[in-house]
Formats: sequence, C-alpha cells, structure tokens
Amino acid sequence: METITSGLPQLPDEFTPGQWQKIDIIIAAHREKPGALIPVLEQIQGVSGYLPEIIQRRVAKGLDLPLAQVYGVVTFYSFFTMKPRGRHEVRVCLGTACHVRGGHLLGKKLENTLGILPGEVDPDRLFSLDVVRCVGACGLAPVMVVDDTTFRQVKPATVDQIIAGYRNDKEAHHE
Amino acid sequence: MNERITGLETLREIKHKVLENHRKYRLRLMLCGGTGCRASGTHSFKAALAEEIAHRGLGDEILVTETGCNGFCAVGPVMLILPEDTFYLGLRPEDVPEIVEQHLIKGRRVERLLYEDPQTKQKIPCMHDIPFFSHQLTWTMKNKGYIDPEQIDEYIARDGYAAAAQALFDMTPDEIISEVKTSGLRGRGGAGFPTGLKWDFAKGARNDTKYVLCNADEGDPGAFMDRSILESDPHSVLEGMLIAAVAIGARQGFIYCRAEYPLAIERLTIAIQQAEQRGLLGKNIMDTGTDFTIEIYKGAGAFVCGEETALMRSIEGRRGMPRPRPPFPAVSGLWEKPSLLNNVETWSSVPRIIWGGGDLYAKIGTETSKGTKVFAVTGKINNIGLVEVPMGTPIGDIIFDIGGGIPGKKRFKAAQLGGPSGGCIPAEHLNLPTDYEAIAQAGAIMGSGGMIVMDEDTCMVDMARYFMEFCQDESCGKCTPCRIGTRRMLEILENICQGKGEPGDIERLETLANSIRDTALCGLGQTAPNPVFSTLRYFMDEYKAHIFDKKCPAGVCPDLFKAPCQNGCPVEMDIPAYIALIRAGRLDDAYQVLKQTNPFPSVCGRVCGHPCQDRCRRSQLDESLAIKDLKRFITDYTTPPRVAPIPVVHTEKIAVIGAGPAGLTAALEMKKRGYEVTVFEALSEAGGMLRWGIPAYRLPREILNREIQEILDTGVVLKTDIKIGEDLRFADLESQFDAVYVSTGAQKSMPLGLDGETAEGVMGAVEFLRAWNMGEPVAVGNQVAVIGGGNSAVDAARTAVRLGADSVTMIYRREQKDMPALDAEIRAAQEEGVAIECLADPVEIVTENGRVCALKLSRMRLGSFDASGRRRPVAVEGSEYVIPVDTLIPAIGQKAELESMSDKIGRDMKKTRIHVNKDFSTSHPRVWAGGDVVTGPAMVIDAIAAGQKAAASMDKTLRTARGESPWEQAPGLIEIPFEVDEEIVEQPRAKIGELAPAHRCKGFEEVELGYDRDTAMNEARRCIRCDVKIEQG
Repeated sequence: METITSGLPQLPDEFTPGQWQKIDIIIAAHREKPGALIPVLEQIQGVSGYLPEIIQRRVAKGLDLPLAQVYGVVTFYSFFTMKPRGRHEVRVCLGTACHVRGGHLLGKKLENTLGILPGEVDPDRLFSLDVVRCVGACGLAPVMVVDDTTFRQVKPATVDQIIAGYRNDKEAHHE
Repeated sequence: MNERITGLETLREIKHKVLENHRKYRLRLMLCGGTGCRASGTHSFKAALAEEIAHRGLGDEILVTETGCNGFCAVGPVMLILPEDTFYLGLRPEDVPEIVEQHLIKGRRVERLLYEDPQTKQKIPCMHDIPFFSHQLTWTMKNKGYIDPEQIDEYIARDGYAAAAQALFDMTPDEIISEVKTSGLRGRGGAGFPTGLKWDFAKGARNDTKYVLCNADEGDPGAFMDRSILESDPHSVLEGMLIAAVAIGARQGFIYCRAEYPLAIERLTIAIQQAEQRGLLGKNIMDTGTDFTIEIYKGAGAFVCGEETALMRSIEGRRGMPRPRPPFPAVSGLWEKPSLLNNVETWSSVPRIIWGGGDLYAKIGTETSKGTKVFAVTGKINNIGLVEVPMGTPIGDIIFDIGGGIPGKKRFKAAQLGGPSGGCIPAEHLNLPTDYEAIAQAGAIMGSGGMIVMDEDTCMVDMARYFMEFCQDESCGKCTPCRIGTRRMLEILENICQGKGEPGDIERLETLANSIRDTALCGLGQTAPNPVFSTLRYFMDEYKAHIFDKKCPAGVCPDLFKAPCQNGCPVEMDIPAYIALIRAGRLDDAYQVLKQTNPFPSVCGRVCGHPCQDRCRRSQLDESLAIKDLKRFITDYTTPPRVAPIPVVHTEKIAVIGAGPAGLTAALEMKKRGYEVTVFEALSEAGGMLRWGIPAYRLPREILNREIQEILDTGVVLKTDIKIGEDLRFADLESQFDAVYVSTGAQKSMPLGLDGETAEGVMGAVEFLRAWNMGEPVAVGNQVAVIGGGNSAVDAARTAVRLGADSVTMIYRREQKDMPALDAEIRAAQEEGVAIECLADPVEIVTENGRVCALKLSRMRLGSFDASGRRRPVAVEGSEYVIPVDTLIPAIGQKAELESMSDKIGRDMKKTRIHVNKDFSTSHPRVWAGGDVVTGPAMVIDAIAAGQKAAASMDKTLRTARGESPWEQAPGLIEIPFEVDEEIVEQPRAKIGELAPAHRCKGFEEVELGYDRDTAMNEARRCIRCDVKIEQG
C-alpha cells in the first residue's frame, strides 16, 4: 500500500521519468476543464498501460478531485484497468452475434492456449486476455481482437496459429 | 478549395465542381473501408490496386475512393464500380491484375468475384440486383458506400448541409420542429419517443445554455448501425445536430461515442474539423451569427451509459449512474442545463427530413411507425450485415429475402430483437411487421435494431442466461432490484443450465422478473428480465427439459451432455466411443457399444436420418463426420456374437402390437428386463416400414432379417398374420396381458383430396411400396408422377425408376431446398433420372375411362410464413398447366388406422393418431403407445427411442406395483481409448462408394457400398473428440 509521506509518492520502477512527464502534461492540460476526469484517465492509460493507485493519486491531486471519485470512475468503466496488461492484448468478443456463432468455444480455446483466464496477464507479460461485449464487428463473428487487429470468423482450430504469430514476433524482437 | 460556405449558393457550386470532377473519370471504384472490410484486408487490396492503376497509366480515367461501411460486412472487402453498378466481393490483393486487365481495360467483368445467389448459383453482377440490396429502401444510409467520408465536398455533392442552410436562412425554429413532427420520426435508440415532441420540450425550456447531445454509445451486442453511419456518413449526424441546435437555441453539442469504435471517432474528428474550416460548425455559421460547436466525448465502456441520464453523468466525469426522472433532460440534463439527446440513427435521418419534407418521410412505414429502420442482421444467417427497410416490413422478409435465410439445412428458431433489453420472436411470428407496437405486443422491443438470428442449435435457456449475465455484469449497482435481482435471476438460470434446476425455479424466475421490471430505477434494469419473459413465453419446453429431464435439447449447455452428436441422437448412442474404438481397431468392442443402445445398428447405418451428424462440431472446421457410414462399417466388418435366450423372471405378460422398429425395440427391452413378451404382427413378417416401406436398394433384406432374428433369439415370441380387431379382439389382449404396447405405425397414405383419386393408376406411396415389397404384381406406366418431397416420395420415385418407368417426376409445392427428404436421397434420385418439379401442386386428376391420363398442376409462389416458419405456398392464379401422367403416386403424408382400438385409449378426432403422455403411457392404465402411430411418419431412430422409453415406463409401472426399485442396465465394461491427432488438418468427409446410376437403376441391388477399412480409419480419425472435457486447472 502506497502512502503519501512527503509530497509526491515515490516513483516505482515501472514508469519512466518520461512517462511521468507525459502524465503530468496531460493532467495540466485539463486542469480547468469541467468533466475532464475520464479523458485524462483515458490518455494516461494510453501512456502507462494501466492505472494503479499511484497514478490515481497523482490524478486526484492534479485535478483537485477526491481520490474516491477517481477510484470510483476507474473501477466503474471497463475500459480502465488497475492491473498491468500484456504486451499484446487479446480480446475475445462475447457479444450476442459472436456468442451464437461459437464465441464461447473460442474463449475457452484461448484460455487453454494462453494458460490464463480473462482479466489475467501471463507471467512474462506477453499476453493478456479479456472478454469484451461486442466490438461492433458482428458481420465477422466470431471475432477476436489482438491489439488493433481484428481476426474474422475465427475457428478454435486456428487460434494456436494466430497466437503463435505473435509469439514468434516476440522472439524475433529478442534475437 | 476550402472556401467558406455562406449559403445554398456556395453549396451548389461545390456540388457542381465535385460532379464535374467525377465526370472526368471513366470509372469510379468505391472500395469499402468500414471496420468489417478493413479487418478483411481493404488496405492491402487498395495498395495493390493503386499501384497497378498507376503502373498501367490509368490514373486519369479511374478514380479509387475509400468509402465507409457498405453494410454487407461478412463478404468483404467489397467494391462498387460506378457508374455501371458492378459489385465485387471477397477481394484479395492477388485479384488486382485480373480486375485491372479484364474489367478496367477490356470492360469484361471478373465472374468469380461477383456475388453468387446461394440457391440458383447464378452470378449477379449489379449491386442493385442482389436481393440483399434490392429489397432495401435507404434513407438514413443513402450515402453509405457512395462517398468518401473524409471529404466534406463529397457529402455536399449529395445535397449535404443544404438542409442546414435551409433551416438557418429560411425557417423559424417552430417550422423546423413542425417539419420533424410531420415526419413522424421516433427515437431510433430504442424507446421510440416522438422526436419532434422532444425537440419542442427542449426549445420550450428557458435557459441561456442548452446542449445538443448525440448518443453514439451503441452498446447492444449485435447492433452496429451507429458505427456504420459514423464511419460512412459522419456529416449527416453533424448536420442533424446543427439543425436541432438552430431549432432549440443551443451553442454546444457533444457526441458520446464508445471508445471501442476508433475508426468512427477518427472520421468524426475529421468531419468536425472540415465542417469548422468551411464555416458549417463553430462561430458564425454560414455568416448568420449562429454559433454551434461539437465535441467528441469517448465513452469508457459501460453499457448503462446508453441510458440518457447516465450518459450525461459520464460526460460530467463521474460514474455513469442513472438518476430518477423527472426532471427530464429537456429541462435539466447535462450540468443541469436543458439537453436534447438523440442517437446516431435519429440524427442522421433529420437532414433529409428537412430538405425533402417531413411528409415524404411520413409516407413510408406504418400508421404509428413512420419512415425506415436500420437493422443489424447477424447470427445464424447467410447475409450478415446492415439493412434499411420501411417500417412494417415483416421480420421474415428481412431474414429470408434480404438475409438469405439460415446457413446449412438448419431451421430458423427465433430472432432476438432489441438485444439484452428485448425479446425473441419465434418462427410462428415471422409475419410480424417491424412496427414499434407490433413488436412490443409479441414480447420484444424494436430497440436499436439489433436482430440476432438463431437456429435450432441455439439453446434458449442459455440465451436467457447469457443476457442475464450481461445485464448483471453491466448493472451500475445503484438500485437494489437491478443489482441484487439480476444476480438472483442469473444464479437460478445458471443452475438450470448446469442441470441443478429444481421444481419451482420457473415460478421464482417469474416473481423476480416481475418485481425487477416494476421497481428498477432505469431502463436497463426495468428491461433486464425481458429475455427471460420472452423465452418463458415461447420456449417453456426447453426450460422444462433442462429442469426436469436434465437435458439441453439444442446441445449447448455443456453440463447436460457429453458430446453434441450423442445429445442429438434420440437413443443417445455413444458415438464418440464407437468412433474411438474404430480408430483403435477394436471393431468387436465398437459393435458392443452400438448394441448397448440400438438393436438395429446395421439398419441405422444405412437408413438413419442421422440427426447426430447435423450437430457434429467438426463442421465448424470443415464437414461433419460421416457417423452413419462409420456405424455401418462396424456392422459390415464384425460377426455378431450369438444371442442367448433371456430367462423370464416376472409373472406379468406383455403384448406388443405391431412388429416395426418401435414394437420390436420395446419387446426386446421388456425381454431384457425379464418379462414374457408376445409380438402380434398383422402382416406375414416382422419389420414394419423397414420391410414394407424402405426399398431393398437402401436396406438389403438379409441385413434386416439378421437384426430381427437377434431380437427373436432372446425369446421374444412373434405371432404374424394376426390383425387386431379381426383375428383377435383388443378386449382379449386387455384380459390376457398385464401391459400392452401399441406400435402399429402409420400405414395409410394421406389422400390428395381431389376427384379421381380412386381411378386406376393412382396409388399412395405407402401402398405402392408395400405391394412391391410383398411381391404383389405392381405395374407402373411410362409417365409416373410422385406428389411430395419426403423420404417416402423419393423411395417411391426411385422404385418406379427401377420398375421401368420412362419418366418419373417428383412434384413438390415448395422449393427443392425445403424438401424434407435427405439431401443424399434427393441427389441419388436425380442421378437416376428422376425429375423434380418444384413450386407446383396438383389441382385436378384427369381421367379417361376410369384411368388417370393427365394431371393438372398449378404453379405456386411462396407467400407469407406459416407456423413452422416456412413460407406458405400459394397458387398463382391462371397458371394451371397439364402434364401427361399414367401413374400417380401421392406421398404427402401417412396416417394410422385405429378403428379397432379400445375407446379407452386417447385418439385424435379422425382416429389417426394416439395421444400419449411424456412416458408414452395412454389414458388407458395398461396401454402404452409409440412410433409412427403417435408421431406420424418419423425416423427409424425415433421409433427405436419410443420403444425404449415406453418399455422403461411399462417396467417402472409394473415394478412400482410390485414394490420394487427401478431396473438398471448393467454398465458397459468397455474401456474407451482417447487418441487424437496432434494437429487438426482440414480434410473433407470421406465419400462412400456407390453403384453407378446406369447400373443400379436396373434392379434392387444395394446402392451404397460402404467404407473399406482404410477409408473408415481415416474418417474415424477426423473425430475431434469434443466429448472429452479437459479439466481446467
């Protein structure tokens, strides 16, 4: 549990000074605007990947809002997360159109392939898995989305291939 | 370019310039860049296309435009070529050279990339001839696919912003609102509140600051019309909002758009920028002194924010929780100022209403629901996409004419309208007009227009559970009925789906649903029980099957079955087990598994209607397994062990009337349980329809005889040539036996109901087949007509071919795809030269000297939907025609003859069916019944199942009377191996060998040859073993 002892909380290793600088710029740009909290959190999550308590405190202080309101908003909207995400965000759509075309089988298959449950990230933070409610690509059901790429009419049998593509990508980066 | 727009004059100039520019190009290629097509590869195709066009030097004559969503999303990327209207789909970069060379240069269409009608297999080159488009009427979506949404001038060229100019220069606020009122437009977000009235309220609110809001938080799963409109025509939404701002006196607007729609946000951002540059938004619009600014606000993922008060809370930067109304937002909304909120589709309908006149819009639609409605048609349907139709269009027309019907040979079950807040519309309501009131009466809501089509493989209880989970998950938690009530309902539904349902669950669900509906704070909560209400209303049977029988008939709820094939089998044969045993080479064990649940495996391996195969999950990859053919392979390659007689241990005696599959199965099952069983058969041999109906080329008699003999070998006594009512009175049976099972079948063909049916040369299919199979002389003429499309009709037609008829024609009143006969049978008949005349129905039998000589037919067309969800054939007036016929075989159904039965057994009015209870008992305390005599003509496997269930019930009744506990079958001791291929490779189903048509037509030799060992092994390897549940760690 973080506590505020002297001025700003200690920076954890996860966020670089560059990231903190961007975060502060975002806060400053919205300071006087009513109703800015959600856009601020959304932009910050784009920088930091997730919204841990330490960031929420920074936002509350910066926008002069009660921490409870920031925490309330973060936990209310599914777009915001307090857990770190994987390098690749795998989202399986369980909207109705995907559900009736086998989206739940796809979800099970992804759980097996990645070895994690929805809402979790794998130990090396390469993949995180989420269930989403309709990405509006119902014409292509069932769909899964990896980062910004939508895969259409995915069959459980082709999941391994798609995931392997991203794994190999990672290996290529390391070598 | 980029000059400031000051009124209609400048708008006209721009329009003129754009059109002039278009005319410079010989062809304009409108390539869809909507989310769906992008995911399918628009950009790689576009890059290749641009390169090839440049390379061939065609840049001056051909213009490529990336448009927004076209609506035909499942077959993308799609491209429309103007002005000629050619429509290409499923485009890949490698198609580019051919398109450029053949079409763009030589002017020849590339056939393989055109749309193919799934029924006729004809190519349809022009977009407006494709049924998906031709049945639509576009108003809101008139620009989709025709403009580049990132170019404001293209919108202006289609009369964009002309309505805004008119509103600004020539209309008073009251005139604007009056025009909207005249149009009859109602809010397209779901509730259907009259739009003009809402505007009037907002105008009447006295405040210096007012807001115009656009709800683009399209959260209903399955609805994506708002996304599509924003992507393809963003300016129409901006213009609609601007017009409202003028009418109510607002200077600030917000668009609340889901963050899940990045492309829509990007295009809106560009559109707002361009409109501001041109003086169409921002300060001093068109130099009139009017100010109106629009900001985009990204939603952060909360379904409840689609509710207006929650949406406003969210823009204020808070948790999106609804608040009670009044005050209504028109009085006190965003930041407590008067606020006017409509959704995307409503806004984009407005400009044309102002420009074209509200009365034009009001001419479309029904009395209470005016104009057009966009539906997102998804789920189990061929043409997935967005369709815009006049209000009032029957739901069935949308699903079958525009949507192209259900894929595979699956049956339509229901369509969910209105997402999680809506309800389902079952097959018997396909004629329902899409009108706010009519839909509400049927138990659903129009909602935002999501229409999710479900087929027979969808479990309605699971669907209700799914929606309840959704609502529970999305409940904001503010009010107790929604927060706690939906959780309680979900728990009950989950229990039911897991086989833990209890009596009283349905009543508990109803009580909870009623109180949540009456007491929840907002629309989300109040409508959350709707899917439960409507599934209870239309699909109570499925709830009962889950709760009382612990069965999921659709094969969806995983705790209630092992494998979908087994679940689909009426006798629940352990299909994965015997297929695994084939793979392991243990055929004798496989045969034992077959015999555990089915006394007729060799028969079923040949003539079963195989509902198992229709459920096979392998079909998600390529094709379902050939389960029927594998079953036959086992029986072909094993020698059945000798059957020993089973000793009689009980004193009660059992009589079975009718030695068809239902009767013989019941007899065997009672024998297994230790009873003395006597089977009475009216004809000379046992077998029923298997012997007297099914021709020998499908079922060789030695195969049938062997399986019947195995039953008799257990000690079942068969007495043939005994007709109840003639040779033995029913009353005698009652006095001599403790339990009687009636399985006399449905032996009589239904008449056509036309004069001349008694003429020579007219014979019902059942009578015809029976006469031939009994060895009686049967003469067919040269021109045979068979009326009907079921398996008996095909059997009669193929038999007539073998008896030497010159021509055999099957006459069917619907389309060939609707024929109830097995596809393989229809195909085989056609190979043997049987002609199929569809959409025709006999109206007169023409006779000469007491003999049929011709048949007068009427052409049929498919009209409105009947209760089974199929289109009802209707005679086309004046379309009669005559064909020469010398043998007429009606095969339109069969009925039973029950005159000789006791009156104590419940029968229908015409005494053609016996009514039974769920356990096959009748109103007579000692009589049970099953098979065709109860159901009418059905599959062999249904008769076998009926025999088994009736036997279990008879035995239970007798045991209960003796004070004993129920009988249990000894469990099989065969260990089932688990072996699967490491990698599953696509591989179609193995074909079964057949005799050549020319050869097989000459006699009654068996047509299908069966698998050899290697083929069967390979086919067995295709099983993906979905029965094996992997434990989750």
